[in-house]
This record gives sequence, C-alpha cells and structure tokens, in this order.
Amino acid sequence: MSDAEMRQNLERARREGLEAIDAATDMASLEDARIKVLGRKAPLSRARSGLRDVPEEQRRELGRVANDVTAEINRAIAAKEKTFMATETAERWEREAIDVTLPGEAPPIATVHPLTKTIWDIVDVFVGLGYRVAEGPEVELSTYIFDALNMPPSHPARSSQATFFIKSSGEEVLLRSETSPVQIRTMESQEPPVYVVCPGRVYRRDTQDATHLSGFMQIEGLAVDEGVTMADLKGSLEHFAREIFGRSLEVRLRPHFFPFTEPSAELDVLCFKCRGSGCRMCKQEGWIEVLGCGMVDPHLLEWVGYDPARYSGFAFGMGVERICMLAHGVSDIRMLWDNDVRVLDQFKGGAT
Amino acid sequence: MRVTLNWLREFVDIDIDAEKLVELLNFSGTKVESVRTPGDDLHGVVVAEVLNIEEHPNADSLTLVDVRTDGEEQRVVCGARNFSVGDRVPLARVGARLPGMDITERKIRGQVSRGMLCSGAELGVSRDHSGILVLPPDAELGADVVPTLGLDDTLLELEITLNRPDCMSVLGVAREVAALTGQTLRRSESKFDTPTDVGSPVKVAIEDSQACPRYLVRYIEGAKIGPSPQWMATRLLACGVRPISNVVDVTNYVLLELGHPMHAFDADKVANQAIVVRRARKGERFTTLDGVERDLHRDDLLITDGAKPIGLAGIMGGEATEVSESTSNVILESAYFDPDTIAFTARRQNLRTEASARFERGMDVEMAPVAAARAAQLMSELAGGRVSATVLDEHAKRLERVKVRLRPSRTDKLLGISIPPAEQAERLRSIEMEVSDAAGALDVLVPAFRPDVTREVDLIEEVGRLHGFQELPSTLPRGAAGGLERYQRAERKLRQVLADLGVFEAVTASLISPEDVEKLGLDESNPTRRMVEVANPMVEDERAMRTTLLPSLLRAVALNRSQRSQGVGLFEIARIYEPTNEALPQEGLVLAGAFSGLRREQEWTGAARPWDFFRVKGVLEAAFEGLGLGPPGFVPASGMPFHPTRAATVSLGSAPLGALGELHPDVCERFDVAERTLVFELSLAPVFEDLPERVQLQEPSRFPAAYIDMAVVVDDAVAASKVGDVIARAGAPEVVSVRLFDVYRGEQVGDGMKSLAFALELRVEGRTMTDDEALQVRDRILPALQERTGGTIRA
Ligand SMILES: [Zn+2]
Repeated sequence: MSDAEMRQNLERARREGLEAIDAATDMASLEDARIKVLGRKAPLSRARSGLRDVPEEQRRELGRVANDVTAEINRAIAAKEKTFMATETAERWEREAIDVTLPGEAPPIATVHPLTKTIWDIVDVFVGLGYRVAEGPEVELSTYIFDALNMPPSHPARSSQATFFIKSSGEEVLLRSETSPVQIRTMESQEPPVYVVCPGRVYRRDTQDATHLSGFMQIEGLAVDEGVTMADLKGSLEHFAREIFGRSLEVRLRPHFFPFTEPSAELDVLCFKCRGSGCRMCKQEGWIEVLGCGMVDPHLLEWVGYDPARYSGFAFGMGVERICMLAHGVSDIRMLWDNDVRVLDQFKGGAT
Repeated sequence: MRVTLNWLREFVDIDIDAEKLVELLNFSGTKVESVRTPGDDLHGVVVAEVLNIEEHPNADSLTLVDVRTDGEEQRVVCGARNFSVGDRVPLARVGARLPGMDITERKIRGQVSRGMLCSGAELGVSRDHSGILVLPPDAELGADVVPTLGLDDTLLELEITLNRPDCMSVLGVAREVAALTGQTLRRSESKFDTPTDVGSPVKVAIEDSQACPRYLVRYIEGAKIGPSPQWMATRLLACGVRPISNVVDVTNYVLLELGHPMHAFDADKVANQAIVVRRARKGERFTTLDGVERDLHRDDLLITDGAKPIGLAGIMGGEATEVSESTSNVILESAYFDPDTIAFTARRQNLRTEASARFERGMDVEMAPVAAARAAQLMSELAGGRVSATVLDEHAKRLERVKVRLRPSRTDKLLGISIPPAEQAERLRSIEMEVSDAAGALDVLVPAFRPDVTREVDLIEEVGRLHGFQELPSTLPRGAAGGLERYQRAERKLRQVLADLGVFEAVTASLISPEDVEKLGLDESNPTRRMVEVANPMVEDERAMRTTLLPSLLRAVALNRSQRSQGVGLFEIARIYEPTNEALPQEGLVLAGAFSGLRREQEWTGAARPWDFFRVKGVLEAAFEGLGLGPPGFVPASGMPFHPTRAATVSLGSAPLGALGELHPDVCERFDVAERTLVFELSLAPVFEDLPERVQLQEPSRFPAAYIDMAVVVDDAVAASKVGDVIARAGAPEVVSVRLFDVYRGEQVGDGMKSLAFALELRVEGRTMTDDEALQVRDRILPALQERTGGTIRA
C-alpha cells in the first residue's frame, strides 16, 4: 500500500468513525459505535496493522497520524458520553422532583399553660436578682394567715364573707387568701438574708366575673436583709415591670395600705396601650395598677423572731392572672381557666 | 367615698386645677378613681311645675302631663306616676341632650309629647329609674337643672384605704389637700354653738365604758319635719345618699362633711327619755329600721331606753324610735364606740352601714361634740327646732392621745433617701401632728382622728408619702444566692416535655364537688372519696378540695368536645389535698392527663391517628426519658374508673405512682366525653425523689455490635414485657438492648398464640462480636424462653 493510500485509509477511518459516533443516540449505541470504530476489525485497527508493512522512514509519520485519529475519536466518544450522562442525570432529577410546598410532617406540639408561662417569666426575673422559690400549704392555719400578718380578729378578711373556712375546724383552718403564709414559714425556718418568691393558688370568696375567680394564682416576693430600703423595693419592682411589660416603661409607686407592710404602696405602670392618654385597658386612667407592696411591718419580723432594729425588708404580691391578662390582652379571666384548646393553642410562641 | 370640689372649698382654698389635684391625691395614698362633672352631659333640662295629670287615652301605663316652666306650658307623655299636681320636676325640653339621648317632639300612642320628664337615673344623680325625680318646692321655675341640682360641681370618687377613717369625710380630704398644697385648713367650730333656754329631759347611762367610752346627746325641741332644701339634697345625691327628711338628712350631711356618724331618735318614742348603753342580753331581739327583726348576741352593744333596745350601737337605729313626719322632739346621739365591738356585730348581723364602716375603723372621739353641735345648728336652721343648751356628755373613759417618738435617721434608713429632720417635722405638722424636738428625735402627739398611727414606722410612712414616693431613688438590694431547686427545674422540664409531645397544659380549679368524684365510680373504700370540705362554699359545686384532678380534666375535655375539636390531649400538674389526722391535710403534687379523639388528623403523609393506650403510654415513657429516668413499669390493672382490660398501674422502680388506662364506657358517658377517652394520674413525689444526678458520659464502643432478630411464639396470655425480660436476662451480659418491633397473630402461629418479634443488640467488650458468638448467645436464650414463657422460636 502506498503512502497515499495509507493516508487515505486513515482519513476515511477518521471521517467514518466520527460520523458513526456522532450518529449514536444513547449510551448503548455509543458503545456499539465505539466497538465499530475502535474494535479489532474496525478500519482504523486494520490501517494500524497495515503500518507494519510501511517503510521505516514513513512509518513514524503515519503512526503519528494514526495516533491522532485514535485520540480524536476517543475525544469524540468522551464528549458524547458526557452529554449522554448529563441528560440521564437531568432526567433522574426530573423524575425525583417533589412539591416542596406540600405540608411538612410536623410532630404534634402543644404548649404549657399561659398562667404557667407567666409564673415562669416572673420567677425568672427574680431568680436573676438572687431569689429562690418557696412553697407552702394552701390549706393553712389561721395563725399563719392572719395573726402573723398583723390582721386582728376584727379585720374584714377574717370573716366568713371573705375567706373559706374548713369544715369543723372551728375557723382555725382555712384556704389561704394570700401566699403570704409561705413568707412567714420561710422566715421561721431560716435566718436572714431571705430572698424568695412564692407562687401558688389562693382562695377568696369573690363572686365570679370577668376579673374575679374564687380560686386563682398569686406570686408574692420577700426580701429581708440588713439595710433593705424602700428605694430597693422601688428599684426591684421597676426592673420587674420593665422586664415583663416593656423595657422603656414608666412606673410609679403610689401610697396604699396593707396590714402586713408599712409603708405600703401600689405599683402602677404607664398604660402600654395608650401610653398614658387613657383607653379602655387602663379605664381611662392612663396608668395600670399592677401589684401591692411595701416595707415588711416590724410586727411580722418580731413574729418570726428577727430583730427589727437590725433587719428590714420589703414584700410584694401580685395576681398572676392579672399580669397574664395585661401582658396578653385577655379580657375575661375565665378564658384562662376554661382550657379551650383554641385559646391555649395561641400561646405556643414566645421565648418560654 | 365621694366628695365635690365646691364642698372641699368650704374647708380649704384650692388654687390648682382638678387634674393636678388628682395627681396630688393619688400620690398621697388617696386614689382618685374617677373625676366627673355630671352636668357636662346635660343640656336643656329645666325645672317645671306639674299643672295637670290625666290618663293617656290609648295606653293604661302612660299619662299626659301638663307642665309649666317660666311662663311656658307644655304637654308631655309620661310613664311614671310618683308625682302629683304642684310638684316641681325636671323637664327635658325639645332639643335637650342627655347622656345617650336627644329629645325631639314625637308622638307616643297617638299623643304628641313635647319633651320628657326625667328620672334621677336619666340625670345621673341616682340609680333610680322607677320614677320621676321630684325636685324641692323652692326650685326656681325654668332654671337649668344643672346648677339647681349642683351638677356643675366636680365630683371626685375616692378610694379610701382601711387605715384612713379620717379621710371618710369632706373635712378629712380637705386636710389632706391642705397638707399637699401648703394651704391652711379652715375648721370654724365655734359658730356651731346655738344656746337656747330649752332644757334637756334626757338622761344617759353607760354600762360598758370599754365598748362605749363616750356618749353625747343634744336635745332639739319642736322640729318641723319636711324635705331638705335643694342645696343639701343636691350634695347628698351627688355623694350617693338619698334625701329623706330634713332631720335625717342633717345627720347624713354631717356624716359626710365631718365624718362622724350620729343618730336622731324621736324623743317622744323613747320611754322616759332615758338612754342606757349596754350589751345585749341572752335571747334578746330587736327590729332595726330596715324592718329586720334580729337575734342579738351577748357581745352586741345596744342603745336602750333602760328596758328595751332602741338602737344597734354604731350601726343602725330601731324601727320603733325612727324619726317620722310626726316627729317633733329629737334626741341627737353623737358617740364613740369601740371599733372591734362594732366590727364583730356588723359581721355577725351581716349589716354594714355608713356608720358601722366608720366606727369599726376608728372614729375621732374628740369630734363627737363638734359634729353634734354642727348637726343641732343645722336642725335648728332647717327644721326650725330649738336646741337645748345642755350638752349631755357622758365621757366614761378618756382615750389618751398617742405619743410616738420618731428618729429622723430611722426614716432615712428605711426609705433609702435623706430627708432633713426639719422637713420631717414640717410634714407631720401639716397633717395636724403636734411635733416637739427631743434630743435628736421628734416627739409626736398624734391627733385622735389618726387611730392608724401608733408606732415610729407609722410616722415614717406619713413622712414618706407626703415627701413623695416618686422622690425615692431606684436601687437594688444586695441579693443572695438565687436559683431553682433541682425538683423545681424538673417540674418545669416535665411540663415543657409534655407540651412538646403535643399535650396541652390545663389549669383547673381545686375546689370541686364530691359528686364529680362519685362519677368516677370508685370503690367505697377508695381514699380518693374522702375529701376536705369547705364550711362556707360560694356554690355547692365547689365545696371540696380535690383528691383527684380527673373530674376537672374530663370537664375540660368535654368542653373542647362541645367546641367540635377533633381531639385533645390535656395534662395538669397540681396539688391534691388528702385528709389526715393532723390539723392540715396532706398536699401532694400529681400529674394527670386526659386524652380523647384524634392525636393527629389525617395528613397527606398518613392516616388519622387516634389517641389510644399505646400513644398515651408512649407520651409518658418519653416524658420519663426526658427527665433522665428509667422507663416506668406497667402492670395490668382493673377497677373503676377504667376499662376492665385496658388499664395498668404505673410504677417507678419499687414506688407505685398511679394508673393509666382507657376510661370505662359508663364513666365516659357520665362526664360527657367520647368513648375510648384515656386518663392517667400519677403522684410526682417519688418521681422527684428519684431524679438522676448529672449525666456521666459513657464513651461509645469503637467495635461494631452484632444484631439478631428473634420471633418468639407464645400463648396470647403471656405478657410481652415478660418475654422481653427473659431475653434480656438470659442474654446478659452480651445482649445490651432488646426492642420489640412486631406482634403477629394469625394462621401461621395458630389459635390463641402470638408471635413477638424482637431486635437484639449484642456486644463483647474490647473487640468485635462474631456472628458465631451471637448465635451462641441466641442458643443460650432459647431454653430460658421455653422454660419461663413456654415460648418457641418461629422459623
Ligand atoms: Zn390606656
């Protein structure tokens, strides 16, 4: 075979090979084409074996041409393969597509009760100030409720109009009307300093309405230490009110009266709805009454055996329902005690 | 307590506006609950005279009334009949505006009405809707009723705290205002004396000087009973007191003005004009002027005529000696009664009056003669009575004024602010305390009208509130080591975990009815049926302290069912109250749950899943796991309130906690909840006692475990937990976990049998376990299964 013929054969093998590869429509026909073009019986292979007969000086040149043809065909096959693989992958993605807007399979989630959340929020504020949580009996001795708390037998709270008495206890045992007996029991059991908050249920003979229940939740707090002042009370409660109702809120202490504190006061916060201009929430007053408080009456300190000349303290008490209602815009207290899931469900959010 | 600005002005000059006054009062401890000028809402209502009343031709309940104002006559249709020709009444003319009402000319049942006659309620002076407000005969015809009724006077509604009886009067509030504004209080007592030559036939004796330290009588002769003048009626109405007659109104007026309660007796109805103050006798009865015949208690203090009672001291007079239209001679009582004595009687008799509310807080013993003189003077002026110069003043026991020493440094120390001693003294003087210096301290003589001030700390409060709490700095006390106890944190976590598992926390009332517990159908001997009961419940349904949370939770489930909820899971953590032999019951914390309907509704990913035994049990197991506790034990149980074959007792280690199960269908029906409602109730004390210490990490093995499955065929009656236990025990120590993953009943295992499939994880320490070794362990388990459960391995 002449040199020219050889070159022609290689060129034809190149052309026909590339055409065959180009004609392949999928991975399988590409493989067929590959065998046809690069297989042992393929024109290219035959042309290569024909090189043996070519004189030495031309063989090198023709061999180079044959290698180029082989490489070009291999490149064409690889390119084709890559195209087919990309198509196949794309088809798989298409096949496996999902509608990501379908609902997720969320495990059912519920919530702790809004009153519990409110208690946690309040307790956490005071724990942050160095308080502990104290608890005590709800069915309590009248001594701890009235005598220790400076309420003489003629005090209106001591009447069966106001307080629940336990049957056949001779008015000696009753349902506590405040959590204050816990303060007394705490002071009886330890020496100052005392910093406690006491959450719990209390009971009063109030007629049920939108803001009253005969059983409800209260949180009281007590701080007794050397040198505790009314300014400390003010600072502590300001901190509390701002944590619960809003950081920039104005608060005010207004003189009031409680038998177990002297001086006594009520804490008002500036209405966070109308900012003081007057609205339904604040009954047009611009301020909302939040809690009662005061400096622990020396009578109480003496009762538990603390020296009033050395120790002083403050106490405060608030209705958990009231705080919860104010914080969440609840208009009827009974909504908090009905446990209607449509109400509870709304409290899933929030930081606690 | 209500006062009007004009009334206050009689005692103190007020040169600030109402808004500033409200602020000052608020910050002094006398909270102003509302401020309003009633007349601001009334336009076009005038005084008219009734000329003629005739029946409405078309309506039995209505009348046609001709009225005259200043020269003008109108006919109006009216629905009330409490007035007669010649009376003066308020007429809202056409074009008038009242709260929520504009008056126009209109036809009522065919008759034209040119205006409307007004009730006290419509004018905002009383709550009386039933009749037309009849005005005093001297009301000027055609005059606007706003000034006539004093409705242009600003009314302050005040909240007076229990410790401040002195503020239950115009005088007392004026004293506060004077102190707060730096003005001087006007107390012109001298002009009240109006001596005549009339003698006083009255004799007074006090048998109990502790209960009645002072009893003073003024005698008024020849009083003519009639209506009070408009100015007095107006003020009484504004302050919520209904005018009755001049003599009675005077006692009420002075009560409001000076705060001292008095009583007027018809002297001619008091036998021998003798007054004896004594305690009631056993079995004595007495009819008060509200018409109620009362059984008296031996501690009740009475005013008597020597023989029979004529008044319940400090609370209410008697019906028999009441001042009436025919009264001419009056015995005016002005006394001081012991606060506790009055408080106990008022409570025993369930009778609270303006008088008792004041006496039980403590009155001003020195006010008795002042108030009596003022009332006598008014009676003389308004009823034409002649007042005897004789003042019978039985002062059986002198009440000394209290003397208290104040150390100004103590004030600073308690309040946390520095107030100069001179200012402290000045503050106290501004509320009529007599202050004298005593070597670095202040000696304070407390006036008799301040029974609340008896100790140094009470004076500190006075200085503090007058200086102003708003002046206090805001500081924090030093605090201590705070934090929650471990069990408190665990309780929080338990609530949160249960909520996160899809169970809503409920809060329900502790007071329930024993009948609700009966509905659970518990055995006679079940301690849950013994409850602590309240002697004075508000309603019968709330008379016992609960020993179980289940009735309340089931009520909540029923409520949600009635709201068409698809399903609900509720839990509550609260106390139960168990009777003991001690004074106080045992209060223990329990966790209870109630589950009904669907846990999950149908979703596109799966079918609806109802709450059932195993889903509730799973929630409990997960919750215990969340507390770091081993799984609770479940042992089949029966007995109410449960389904006889779908309930278990629950325990933790060796401590019984309570029970879990499907409710008996009868119980479901009684509580109006769906069948297959499930409940549990567990005592939490053992749970919180058993809380694990801090988690100690166990490093995971570096060698792979071997896993084998075993399907064990046993009699249906064998408990799955027993089979699992046998495998775990016989497979120890290599078997580190046994998990049941399938239960099969059917042809392949035969009647009365079941196949339980377990997945076992096996390990040896320090190396990989071979398959051969795993099979050896399996072979070791088989005979134990055969022996202990009769189980065989399913091929
Ligand atoms: Zn507001």
